[in-house]
This record gives sequence, C-alpha cells and structure tokens, in this order.
Amino acid sequence: MLQRRMLGGWPRRLAVAALAVSAGVGLATRTGAADKVVKIGITLPLTGADAEDATLIKYGALLAIEEANAKGGVAGYKIETVIYDSGTATAGQYDPAQAATNTKKLVSDPLVVANVGPQMSGEGKAMAPILSVADLATITPSSTNPDITNPAFAGQFKPKGRAIYFRTVTTDAFQGPNMANYMAAALKIKSVYVLDDSGAYGVGIADAYQRQAEKLGIKVLGRDQLNPKEADYTTILTKIKALKPDALYYGGVAQAGVKLAKQAHDVIPDMIKAGGDGVHGGSFLKGAGFPAVDGWYATTASPHLVEDPAVADWVKRFQTRFKALPDDYAITAYDGALVILDAIKRVAESGKEINRSNVRDAMQTTKLKTLQGEVSFDQNGDMLSKVVSVFQYRHDPKYPDDDIIHQQKYEGTAPEGS
Amino acid sequence: MATLLAKRARSLVAPLTERVGAVAVRRIGLALIALASLAFPLVHRNEGNIDAAANALAFATLALGLNVVVGFAGLLDLGYAAFFAIGAYAYGIFASYQVQPEWSAFWEPLQWLGLVERLSTGTAPDHVHFTVSFWLMLPVSGLIAAFFGVLFGAPTLRLKGDYLAIVTLGFGEIVPIVARNTPSLTNGAAGLNGVATPNLFGYGFGVESTPYYYLGLALIVFLIFVSARLKTSRIGRAWMAIREDEIAAEAMGIDRIRLKLLAFGVGAAFAGMTGAFYVAKLQTATPEMFQFPVSVMLLVMIVFGGIGSISGVVLGALILQLLQSWFLQDLTQWVHAFGNLTDIAFFQQVDLVQSIELIFGVILVLMMLYRREGLIPAHRSVTALSQAEQTAVPSRGGFTGALAQRSPVDLTQPLLEIRGLSKSFGGIRAVAGLDLTVMPGRIVAVIGPNGSGKTTFFNLVTGLTKPDAGRVRFAGRDVTGLASHVIVERGIARTFQNLRLFANMTVTDNALVGTHVRTATGALGAVVRPPGVRREEAEARVRAARVLGLFGNRLLPRAAHLARTLSYANRRRLEIARALVSEPTLLLLDEPTAGMNPTETLELTDQIRSLREAGITILLIEHKLGVVNEIADHVVVLDHGEKIAEGRPEEVHRNEEVLRAYLGRKIPAAAHP
Amino acid sequence: MSFWDVLLQQVINGVSLGAMYALLALGFTMVYGIIELINFAHFNVFMVGSFIALWLLQAMGIVGQGHPLYGLPLIGVLGVAFAVTMLASGVLGVAIERLALRPLRNVPGTAAMITTIGVSYILFNVILLGAGADSKNYANPLPPLRWPIGEATLRLREVLVWGVTLALMLGLHLFVRRTKMGKAMQATAQDQEAARMMGVDVDRVVAVAFFLGSALAGAAGLIFGLYYNYTSFIIGYTAGLRAFTAAVLGGIGNIPGAMLGGLIIGLIESLGGQFLAVRWTDVIIFSILVLVLVFRPTGLLGRAAPTKS
Repeated sequence: MLQRRMLGGWPRRLAVAALAVSAGVGLATRTGAADKVVKIGITLPLTGADAEDATLIKYGALLAIEEANAKGGVAGYKIETVIYDSGTATAGQYDPAQAATNTKKLVSDPLVVANVGPQMSGEGKAMAPILSVADLATITPSSTNPDITNPAFAGQFKPKGRAIYFRTVTTDAFQGPNMANYMAAALKIKSVYVLDDSGAYGVGIADAYQRQAEKLGIKVLGRDQLNPKEADYTTILTKIKALKPDALYYGGVAQAGVKLAKQAHDVIPDMIKAGGDGVHGGSFLKGAGFPAVDGWYATTASPHLVEDPAVADWVKRFQTRFKALPDDYAITAYDGALVILDAIKRVAESGKEINRSNVRDAMQTTKLKTLQGEVSFDQNGDMLSKVVSVFQYRHDPKYPDDDIIHQQKYEGTAPEGS
Repeated sequence: MATLLAKRARSLVAPLTERVGAVAVRRIGLALIALASLAFPLVHRNEGNIDAAANALAFATLALGLNVVVGFAGLLDLGYAAFFAIGAYAYGIFASYQVQPEWSAFWEPLQWLGLVERLSTGTAPDHVHFTVSFWLMLPVSGLIAAFFGVLFGAPTLRLKGDYLAIVTLGFGEIVPIVARNTPSLTNGAAGLNGVATPNLFGYGFGVESTPYYYLGLALIVFLIFVSARLKTSRIGRAWMAIREDEIAAEAMGIDRIRLKLLAFGVGAAFAGMTGAFYVAKLQTATPEMFQFPVSVMLLVMIVFGGIGSISGVVLGALILQLLQSWFLQDLTQWVHAFGNLTDIAFFQQVDLVQSIELIFGVILVLMMLYRREGLIPAHRSVTALSQAEQTAVPSRGGFTGALAQRSPVDLTQPLLEIRGLSKSFGGIRAVAGLDLTVMPGRIVAVIGPNGSGKTTFFNLVTGLTKPDAGRVRFAGRDVTGLASHVIVERGIARTFQNLRLFANMTVTDNALVGTHVRTATGALGAVVRPPGVRREEAEARVRAARVLGLFGNRLLPRAAHLARTLSYANRRRLEIARALVSEPTLLLLDEPTAGMNPTETLELTDQIRSLREAGITILLIEHKLGVVNEIADHVVVLDHGEKIAEGRPEEVHRNEEVLRAYLGRKIPAAAHP
Repeated sequence: MSFWDVLLQQVINGVSLGAMYALLALGFTMVYGIIELINFAHFNVFMVGSFIALWLLQAMGIVGQGHPLYGLPLIGVLGVAFAVTMLASGVLGVAIERLALRPLRNVPGTAAMITTIGVSYILFNVILLGAGADSKNYANPLPPLRWPIGEATLRLREVLVWGVTLALMLGLHLFVRRTKMGKAMQATAQDQEAARMMGVDVDRVVAVAFFLGSALAGAAGLIFGLYYNYTSFIIGYTAGLRAFTAAVLGGIGNIPGAMLGGLIIGLIESLGGQFLAVRWTDVIIFSILVLVLVFRPTGLLGRAAPTKS
C-alpha cells in the first residue's frame, strides 16, 4: 500500500528556508531604479590555468571604472560592470564556446554598451562574429592574433562590416618583426634560435619574429616548441648551447618562460635572450627573479612607460586597491577601460543616446592619452601607433626584485619596417 | 539522499500511475518534456542562455556516445575527446579557407557538385576553397570519426579493462598534439578561422543561438533513438554480454572483435557528428578545446547520470554542463546570501565558479563510492514474485515442453572425432594425446580426478584454448583451432564449471544471447527495424521463452530479474538454457549438477536424458558417479591429461587403472558398489 | 661543443630526468604489483609532497636562492626534509586508500581506477585553489658545485637525484625481500586469497604498500623542488605521464623495471629532443606507451601479470 505523504518535518523546513532565501536574494539584487546606469562587460577566463593573468586584467579594468564612479560616474551615469568567466572546468582553461555564450548574454542585455576582453585570441575568434552582428564593441588588452582584425578575414570576423574588435595592444604582426629589426640593427646578431610555448600567442609572435628574421638575413638555426606543463628544458637548452646562436628568442608567456629563464641561466648564461610582452614584467619577473632574468630583453607594444611618473603612481594605486602587482596587460586593460569611458563621455556630450552603436562609433574616433601614451585606432580596430618599445632587465639592488618599474631599463624603440 | 528523492517522486506519481497506467504516465511525461524543450527558446528569450542550452545538448550527445562505448560495451575510453576533435576538424577543414590546394582539372566535377569553389587571386595560381555543406559533413564527420574509432580501438582488443583505458588515454593525448603541430591543416594553436555556418534552404544560421538549439535538439533526439534501438537489439545484448563476461560472450557465439570495433565506431561517430555541430556553431576550433579534461568531464557526466542508462547520461550531462555555464553564477550568489543569512564565513566567501573542478572531482569520488549506478540506474527494479511463483517442486520425468530439433544428423557417422589432442601450459601437460570418438545421440560422460584435464579438454573443443597438437572434427568438418563463436555457429554449445552468466543482464536477455548466433541483425537493422528484423527478434524471443519454460516455473517467473539475483541452482539452469537456445547439435555440460541437492540432481538428470531423446548429443563432465551411472551411454576416464579407460559405466567402474587414479591404491574388484 | 660533448651532456641530462621518473614510477608500480590498481592519484600525491616540502623548508627558515649550506647542516636539513615529507605523503596515501579505495577493493572492473581519477582531480584542485596557479620558488640550500667532463657539466643536484633514487630503490628492494612485511607483500601480490588464508592481514599489507608508495612519491616531490627550484600545481601532470610510461615500459609491478623504464624514458626525452625536436617528445612517449601495452603488456622485465577474472 503506497502512502501519499505531504512533505513533513525536516524537508519542509528546508524548503521554506530555500524559498525565503531566494526571495530575499531577489529583493536584495534589485537596483534602485532611480540611478542612470550604463554597463560595461568584462569577459575573461577567470578560472583554470589562465586565471592569474586574467584576474590582473580584470583588476586593471575595474580600477579605471571604480575611479570614474568615484568621480560621480561618466556624464551622470553610474558605470556597472557585468563580469563573465569564459573558463570552464570542462576545458580546464579558456573555453571559446563559453566565451561565445557569454557574449550572447552580454548582447541580450540592452544596458551593456561596450566590453573589455577577451584575453585569448581563441576566444576572440568565437566572439567577434556575435559582437559584429550586435554592433557591440569590445576592447582587448592582450589578444594579439592579427587574423581577427585582418581585412582579408572581414567576412568571417565582422560580417556587418564595422570594426568591433579594438585592441590596446599591437598584434603579433608588429611586435615580433620589430624586435627582429632591433636585434639585427642594435644588437647586431647574425644567428638566432627561436622557441615558442605552444600557446596561440607564443606561436603567433614567434612565427612573425622568425619570418622577419629570415627576411633580414639572420640565420635561424632552429625552431622548437616548449611544453609549458613540463618542468625540464635542459634538453633543448643543451641543444641550443651546442649550436651557438648569437641569441635566443622566446615567444610565449611566463608559465614556460620562468622555467626557461632559470634553466637558461644555468646552461647558456652568456647568450643574448629576448622575448615579447609575455616576458615583460609581472609573473615572469617575479617567478624567475634575479639573477635568472638579468640581461633578458622584453618588448611592449607601446611607447615606453616605465620612467613616466604617472605610471609609478598608477602602480601604487593598483597595489593599494588590489594587493597585487600589475603586469603589462593590467595596464593595457586599464587603458582599454579608459577608452570606453571616454567614448561614453563623448557620446553623452554630443547629445546622442548612449547605446552600443554610438559608443562603438565614438571608440572608433578615439584620441586619448592613456598610460601607454596616445591611443587611437585604424579602421580595422588595431592601434594606430605601432610603436614597440624594447626593455632590458638589469638588476638594481636599491629596489625590490619584483619592482617592474626599476628592474628594467628602456633601451629604445624597435624599428618598424619589413 | 537521491533514493529518498526518487521514492518521494514515485510516491507522488504513484496514484496517477495506478489510475492511468505506467506506460501512459511515461508517455505523458515524455510529451511534456518534448513540449517544454520545443517551447523553451520562444518563451525564454535570452540568447546567452539559449546558447548555453545548445552547448549543453552537444555535451549530452557526447555523453550518449561515450555511453555506447563505456556503458553498453564496457570499454573504458579515457580519450574520447579525440573523436570530438576529429569530427570538428574534419568539418572545419572542409568548410573554411584553411586548406587551399592548387586548382587542377581534378576539382572540376567537385565544383559542379557544389563541394568546392575556385578562388582566383589575380597573380597567384587559382586555389580550391572547400565549401562542403554542413548537412553533408554532419554524417561524413561521423563516418570519419568512426573510422578513427575503429583504428584506435583495434590495438586495444586483447587488453583488459585498465590497460585499454590507458591506451585510449594515450590516443586522446596524441590527437590534440598532432592538431597543434600540423598548422597547415588546422592552423595550429591559433585555431581555425571562419568555419562556415550551416545554411538551410537559403537561411544561414549565422550567430543566432535559436537555430542551433533546435539543431542540437534534433541531433539529440536522433541519437537517443539510435541508442535506444541499439540497446534493446541483438547488437546491444551482444555488447552487454561482452561487458559482463567476454569469455562467456565468445563462447555463446559473439564475435568479440567485430562487436568491440563496432562499439568504438558507433561511439566515435556520435562524437564526430557532435564535433561538426559544435564547430559550425563556434566558427572556430583550437586544440585546447579537446584535451584530457574534456574526456574526464564526460566520464564524470556519465558516472553521475548513470552508466548504461540513456536518460541517465543525458540528464547527467545536461545538469553538469548547465551548472557550469548557466547556473553557477546564480548559485554562488544564493550561497553567499545563505552565508549572510546564517553568518557562516565559509558560505559568504566561497566562489563556486572557481571550485567547480574540485566539486566535479568530489562528485566523481562520491558517486563511485556510494551510488555507482548513478542518478538514473540502468536497471529498473522488478516487482516481487508471488508465493506461487516462488515455490517450485522438483519434478521428475524430464522437460515439460518440446525441444526444437536441429537438422537431422547422420546417425551412422561419428559426430565428434578427436585425434591426438594435446595442450601444455608451461611445463604442465594438461591434455596429452587424447583420442575420442563420439557417436550422435549419445550421452558421453568424462570423469577423472581433479586436475585431470577435463575442463581444458572442453576448452580445446570449444575454441577457448588453442591446442598444441591434434585434430578435432565435428560433423565431418575440421574445427581445430577455430574461434569460439564460429564453433558455436557450427553447433557446439557449452556451460562452464564456475558459472559464467551475464550477471547484470536479465534472465531473458541471458537466454536471448544464446540466439545471437542464429540471428543476423546488424547495427543498421537494429536501428531501422524493418519487418524482417522485427520478425527475427520476435521469433528469437519466442524461442528463448520456450527454452526457459522447459524448466517449469523456476526461470520464467524471473524472466525480468537480473541473473545475479538467482539462486545457485537456478543459475546453473539458466546457463544450460542459454546454451540450449543456440540450438546445438552437441552440448558440453561442465559439472551441471554441482551444488544441487539430491532431489534437484535427479530432476536435472532426467532433463539431460530428455535432451538426448530430442536428438542432442551430450558430453558431460561429472563428479557425481550416481548421475554418470544413470544416464551415460559411454564413459571416458581422464587422468593427468591422458585417457586411461573408456567404455560402459559398469566396465569403467571395474577398471583397476581407474580405481587407482581415484583412490590411489590397488583394491580388489569387489569394492565396486 | 663537439658532437661527443653534446651527446655526453644529453646523456647526463637524460639519466637525471630518468632518475626522477624512476623514483616516481617506483611507488606507482609497487602499488600496482600488490593490488593491480592503476592509481592516478599517485602523481598528484607527488605534487602535494613537493608543496609539503616547500612549506617545511620555509618553516625551517630555508628560503631564497643564494644561501647554500654545507656539511652537517646541509645533511641535517635534507634529512629532516626527507623524513617529514615522506611521512606526511605516506599518511596521505594511506588516507586515500582507506577512504576512497578500500570500499571498492572487491568491486570488479575499473571502478577503483575511475575513483583514483576523481581523487587526483581533488588533490590537484585543492592545491590550485589554496596555493594559486603561479609557480612557487623553492629554496636552494645546495651548494653550486659542478664538475666539468670535457665540455659537459655534472652538477651536484644531478648526483643528489641519482644518489637518493638509488638509495630508496635499494631500501625498497631490501624491505620487500628481507622483512616479514615485505614477504607478506610479495605473497599478496602473487595471490591475495591464498595470502589471506596463510594469515596475512591483507588490509594491512595494502595500507603499507600505499604508505611506502606515497612516501616515495613525496620524496620525489622534494627532489623535484630541489632540482628545479620551483613547484606548481601542474607538475604532476606531465611528470606523471612520463613516469607512468616508464613503469609500463619496465614492466608494471616490477621494481627494477621501474628504474630501467625511467632511465629509458629519460634518455628518449633528451636524445629525442636533441636529434629530433622537443615538440614531438609527448607524441613519442605516448606512442611508446601504446606500443608497449599492445605488443608487450608485461613490459621489458615484467612477469606475466595475473589476469583479473
């Protein structure tokens, strides 16, 4: 005989509590309808293997937005952030499919007028078509794959024709080749060994570097790929040592870079070593430390900012607010958020409605002074300024070892031209 | 906790079930689900959530495919994501600008078919641009992945469970690495650019989520249909038999190699199709999307949902995937609110999004420890038996029903001829130079002390072991060294000394496995089910039921029960029934009455006798000499692998060699009972 | 550097790598030998062990890269570090066996192996969430001694790795061959039922096996940290797969096989990287794994493994 019983005792109390909680949460999250609000999205892989770097980017963007809100918002509008995580447990790191889903969520919220992100170009490829159809602009601090803004691929990445993928970082098409130019002209190297860390960014920048080096007549003695999860690079370093190139170029980020720097200091301490913005500051400096990074060259896709006192002041503000040391991409993220805030301001000043199309148009015509210097964009969304600055790490015992301002010296601009 | 909820759910539904009937309730439930799924995008208009739902459907189809390999066939594949990658890149390569061979006359007919386009860039020679339609590539990606499924599965065929898992893990690692290192095909780590979206009669899917959602829905319905059809078919039963006991499956006539490869192929095909769908939606693919964590996640999904249960794995996949991409942020807020309510710091601060991988690891461990059958178990519980059904009085007089006759055998020629059969294991001679002739319609008992080689002898005749020397001829044809399933097909069936039933299959399914060798439905037939296949299945069921019914009410009332719930004696009977269903001409019984009490032994003895009346020749290993005396026409005595005596039972009992072998010393002939 | 110098250096590199893999493979193969379980969690116990050792060294005040110790203080520090790390890792291993694996001991099939995958994930994520994703610098108390051989170099830490690995392998070998518990372990490995009937406490034997295996993993973790001067949450992954292949290659369940397998894999890594490219190392190693399992599942030195029914 089956008995029907109503939920009794324990389970009933739990159910009532759950209902109460959800009602409470629902009430609590209703914002005051009176404020004028505009939303900026932040889409980054905040969980998984890329989480550390992504979090610094998030902090950079948040700092700009919080500072704007503290001054009363932009043109009377309070800026809210909508943060979406594109990392999933399934992928263990950034997931392009999740990035696409997040983009669609952004797109369906009419208050979202612009976005900061993505971190990785793989996400960017999935996001771009969706952004284009919705005319929602995004500004990325670190995605450097040139394909996404390449007019040859416009049909794929911006089917509606208008640029929506803006960058505050130059693409691999410039960082790598310009460094090759610098190394040939200033360091006078005749041969090089190229390594990458098998990630999309590293492969891209190393490929671009290698192509330019070959064009310049530098002998590329070999090209290989590091596994960032591996611990031991002595095999390849021994091989490189035996080949005796003038220099070693590493395209990639800190995960493999730190181990490479430490072990290279052991095996090939006297060779010239260089990398892209993946080895500029942040986790590379902190992880490898001195003496390992001493002498390494790094590039950034901006005019030199290291000795600008505004930057030192900014670093202090960042550290105070977030208790973390910023890296290069935190700076570019901050600049990216500044671009969006400036665009919103200009749209409001022109009397037009603050919607995403108008914000996009305003972003297109940006001419803004940021931490990197003046930022404006070409018709594809890339930065007009293709300046690549070269730095070299030199130990200064007066300052803490992980101080990115003082432990490297500005060496000059990497020459353009192919 | 889950069982409590399930019981609660059932108690709520029960009155409805009583009124309307269980089947109708299920139908109504399914209809409601179908309606809700179809209406969902129209009612809930958030593109992001529809997109998340479409992705979740893709993972559900992947889980279905893994379920075929792991759940049905019992092959633990830890590198399943490789097939997902292969299907994805296959579509990606044929629907993007990635691969552009030079134009030549070869491509012209393909251009005419609309599969390729000709690209002119003015200065450079013309190139080919692949424009294969998504709808064509959907099945083709499945086929390409199936090909690799067979390719990767082939090396694993002889490996046991954990080694098989490791090899598949190896392949699962190799595929994304190869994808990354062949940038000419895949654009390497940077990922494919601009994969074309599907186009349905001029309507391009573009970046809208809703058409993909419906496409995903159609795909999952189709694959659920295919899975369900396969599960309840001859192929599904054969897979499950392999999962339960490979040796017994082979001995019942199942071609292990073909069926394992089929499982790998079908499972890979599911993943390949999903890959094409996923990449068409995302318009890009990077090698990092297909690495080991994806394979593990799919494993967690099917363990969580219920290995082997179709609705279970779909539910498990949907829950876990939607949790990650849709609900987790909200859930975190609820937990924070709960923490604020109760002022527990842990709940206030915990970030579920960060810890989701940890949570999945915990789910996997807890499920394996406490609820291995998952949310929705593959087996439904059965109703209890009535008092009448439970009692069974041993009967005398043999089988109550009639047995089907095989094709009449020539009674003048020997049925089984064995010459010089030998087998050694290392230094031990298990069978040495055995000669034996068995005439049709006889019961021949093989007796001897333990270790005399009786079971090895059976193994040699049935193909489980390959002989070192000697010949076996059955019905005039040489069967030496043939594979077991071929020998079953020829008409030799057997039972096992230590019982090799398919423990987690029902009594009916165990018996139906016996029909495998007399039926011919393949995977395609199992899914499509034309009238011929339906007829064959119905006939097989009739045959199986008839054979089960031979044992009175011992087996039939328990037809829907799992074999492992049967009593020991009933399990022996089931093994015999299973062997009988394959319509053998020669039946090898290995200690069939072991563990039975004297009354049951007499009952079975009569039943074996009636088998002989029906024309089946029996080879019987027995220790109970009373049984041997009762029914054996001819007795063969083995000792240390050699035949030391044969003849009528009375003769053998008097034989001094035999007595010495059993008892170890010379005794006067008068000791014979 | 001449060809021979390069070759010698790569051989030195390979043998050092191999010693690390061998140490990691030892504990793994021993557990497999006793209960025929592929324990995925082993390689994350290794990772956890390296973190335990890191925190221990920090607690002892050994930090930074430029302060080597010599003589007695060095031996003392290393001794304490090894003892504590191995003990803690051993306890972790026993806990895993007791809580997650013993209930499944009699369940046929791959249920236990799947559970070790889950445990592995848990360990991995606990460290990731607790300690963060960045690599942690290890203290380096070893003096920077090095001995040149031609143009190749042999460093102190390489000698340390070989020394410790050989010592531990010898210790394990003596334990298994000479002690009563060791004999009980051998018996259980041959036939669990028979050993139980002979009065062997199988539960205890398995617990001891896990303790020893995990202690070895912990030792490997400490050595890893001292050798590479860093640790991070991910080190179990790649090292694990290589060590796993080493165990299979040498003969899973066979202790000298683990050493041989480790050595071979290490040499393949270094020589393959030198003469081909390091980008293919993973593919080569996985191919070896597949080929060995398919064509010679008993490995180079292994005995025919008892088949599970």
